[in-house]
Amino acid sequence: MRRDHMKSVLPRGPITLLGNLSETRYWVYLLLFPSLILLLLVVAYPTLYGFVISVREMRLTRPGLNGWVGMKHYVAMMSDRVFWISLKNTAIWVTAAIAIEVTLGFVAAVALNRNLPGTKLFGVLILLPYFLPNVVAGHMWALLLDPRLGVINDLLVRIGILSTYKAWFADPATALAATILVEAWHGFPFFALLFLAGLKGIPEDLYKAAAVDGAGPVRQFRLITVPMLKTVIAAAVILRVISLVNSPDLLLVLTGGGPGNATQVLSLYAFQTAYREFNFGYAGALSVVMFILLMLFATIYIRLTHVTKE
Amino acid sequence: MQITKREFLAATAALALAGSIRPANAATAINYWHHFTSQSEMAGLLKIIELFGKAHPGVTVTQESIPNSEYMAKVSSAVVAGGRPDTGMVIAERFADLTAMGALTDITKRVNAWKGRANLPENRWTGMSQDGAVYAVPAYAFVDWMYYRKDYFEEAGLAGPPKTLDEFVTACRKLTNPAKGRYAFGMRGGAGAFKYVIDMIESFGSPIVKNGQAAIDKAAAVEAVSFYSSLFLKEKVVPPSTPNDSYRQIMEGFRTGQTAMIWHHTGSLIEISAALKAGEQFATAPMPAGPKAHIARVAYAGNGIMKDDNVDAAWDWISFWGETDAAIALLEATGYFPASTAALEDRRIKSNPVYQAASKTLEFGRLPNSFVGAAGWSENVVNPAFQSVLTGQLTPVQAVDRMIEGLEAALR
Repeated sequence: MRRDHMKSVLPRGPITLLGNLSETRYWVYLLLFPSLILLLLVVAYPTLYGFVISVREMRLTRPGLNGWVGMKHYVAMMSDRVFWISLKNTAIWVTAAIAIEVTLGFVAAVALNRNLPGTKLFGVLILLPYFLPNVVAGHMWALLLDPRLGVINDLLVRIGILSTYKAWFADPATALAATILVEAWHGFPFFALLFLAGLKGIPEDLYKAAAVDGAGPVRQFRLITVPMLKTVIAAAVILRVISLVNSPDLLLVLTGGGPGNATQVLSLYAFQTAYREFNFGYAGALSVVMFILLMLFATIYIRLTHVTKE
Repeated sequence: MQITKREFLAATAALALAGSIRPANAATAINYWHHFTSQSEMAGLLKIIELFGKAHPGVTVTQESIPNSEYMAKVSSAVVAGGRPDTGMVIAERFADLTAMGALTDITKRVNAWKGRANLPENRWTGMSQDGAVYAVPAYAFVDWMYYRKDYFEEAGLAGPPKTLDEFVTACRKLTNPAKGRYAFGMRGGAGAFKYVIDMIESFGSPIVKNGQAAIDKAAAVEAVSFYSSLFLKEKVVPPSTPNDSYRQIMEGFRTGQTAMIWHHTGSLIEISAALKAGEQFATAPMPAGPKAHIARVAYAGNGIMKDDNVDAAWDWISFWGETDAAIALLEATGYFPASTAALEDRRIKSNPVYQAASKTLEFGRLPNSFVGAAGWSENVVNPAFQSVLTGQLTPVQAVDRMIEGLEAALR
C-alpha cells in the first residue's frame, strides 16, 4: 500500500522506468543484450551468410549467373571426385596428425613434468615449433626435405636407409605421409603444453597412495593420469581437430594439394575453389559441409568421452 | 585558463572543419597493389616511384606488395568486401577474370588521348582490352625463352640449343647423367606446370578455346601430353622431383648445375645472371618449335585503375609505366622486357646478345590464352591432371578427358 502510494507520487521518467525494470526478471536479458548483439554480428551473421552463399550461385567472374540455386552445389558435390578425395584425405590427415601429436605431446609433457635439471630449457625448445607460423614451418621443411639440397635426404643416404635422394612431396605414396609428419612436428607442442598444465594439477598424493597399494607406473598412468586428464585431452583434441580441418596453409606451401590431388583436403579445395576459380557459391557449400562434419565430430566425441558429466 | 562550454564546442567545430579542408598544395595520395616481391623487382619499382615523384610532384604513391599466388585472392576480396586500391598490376593471364569481376575501370578515352600510345603497337593492347574498351596500360612483357648451360652443351658435343622438340629430346638424352646427378631439363610439374602443358598442346596443333567454346583437339592433346610426360616417365631426362617442382625448384636446379635447360621467361634473367656467367656458363635461346606450331608466350603486363576516387592521379601513375624512362629503370633492375617500342630501341637491349632470343621471340610469340575462368581451369584442372600422369595415376587419355571436361565446366 505504501509502495503503491510512493510510485504514484514519483515522476515516471526513464530513470524510474529503468529502476523498475531492474527489479524484474527481464533485467538480466537487458544486461546481456549488448553481448548478444555483438555475438550476432561477429558469429551468427558470418555463419549464416556462409550458409546463404552455399545455396546461391556466386561466381565473381560471371556475375550474370548469380542467384538462388538451392541445393545445386550440394548435389554437384556428390559427383565431384575431388570432393571425395579431399574428404578421404582430410580424414587421414586429421586422424594421423592427431594420433602422432597426442602421443608426442604426452611423452613431452611427462618428461617435462619430472622437474629434472634442464627441463625449463627443454620446455622452451619443445615449444619452439609451435611458435613458428605455418608458412615459415612449411618453407623450412620443404628445404629440409628438398630432393636436391635437403639435409634429411642427405642423412638418410649417409646412414644407408636411402640409396638416392627422395622427392618426398612428388610421390603420391609419400606426399601425404610427409606432410602429416611436418604437421605433427608443428602441432605436438600444443598438446604438450596442455597436458603439462593438466599433469601439474594432479595431486602427488594420488600417485603415492597408488604406489602404496602396489600400482606400478603403467597402472598409475592408466588409472590416475589418463582419467584425471580426460577433460584436458577432450578439449585439446577438439580444438586441434578444428584447427587441422580448417587450416590449409601448410599443405598450400608444401604441395598445393598435389601431386594430382594426392594431398588435397577439404579446406584447401574450398580455398582454391573460392580464390582460383572465384566460385564462392561452391566454396561456401564445401565450407558448410566442413562445418557440419566438425559439429558432428564434436558432438559425438563429447558424448563418447562423457566429459560433460563430470 | 578556464573555457566555457560554448567556447569548447566552437573550438572543436573549428578544429574539425580545419581537419577536413585539404591545403591547396597537398599532394594527392594514391595506392598501388602489385605482386613484385624479389629484391630486384622492388628496386625497380622504387626507382619508378622515385622517377614518377619527380615528374609528378603533386602525386604520392604508396605501394603494397602482395605475393603473386595471393594477388587474385586479395583483389577479389577487395572487390567483394570493399577496400580496392586506386591502381593495381594486371597481367595478361588474369585480365579476363579481373574485367569479368568488374575490378578495372575503362580508360579508353584517356588512352586514346595519350601521346605515349604511339610507342605501344596494337598487339600490346590486345591483352589489356575487351570488346573495344581498354582497361590497362601495358608496361612490360614476360617473353618466354629457354636458358641453357652453354658449358654443358659444349661438353656434350652439342653445337647449339635445340630448335625443335625433336632436337630437344636428342639433346636431353646426351645431357642427362643421373650418376653425376645431372639431368637435361628442369621440368615444372608442380605449381605453374599448366603453362607448359598448354603450350605443348598448342605446339602439337590443338587450340584451347575458340569463340568462347572449348576447342581442344583430343588426339593432338593426348599426343602432346604423352610426349611431354615421356620426358619424365620414359626418357628420364628430368629430375625425379619433377611432379612437385615449381619455379623455385627449377631455378635452384639450374643455378646449382643439376639441370642443363629450363623454360621460363625474361623475368628470371637477373636471378640466373647473379649465379652463372652469361655467355660462358649459360645462354638464352627461343623455345623449341613443336611439330605443328612454334609456341612461346609474350605476356604483356600493365597497370589498371581499380577505384575512381583519384582517377586523374591514378592515370598519371599507370601511364607513367608506359614511358621509356620507367621501362628502362625496370629493365635495368629486373631484366623485364619493355612493352614500349621506344624503349626496345635502347642500346642496352639492342647491343646485349642475351636479349636476342627475346627479340626473335617477339616476332612469333603468342599472347597467353585469355578467357574467363582460364586461371581456375589451368591451376585446378590442368595442373593436377598432368601431375597425375607423371605419377602414374592417370593415362594421357584420361588426363586430357579431365582437361576437356574441366574446360567445358569453366566456360559454362
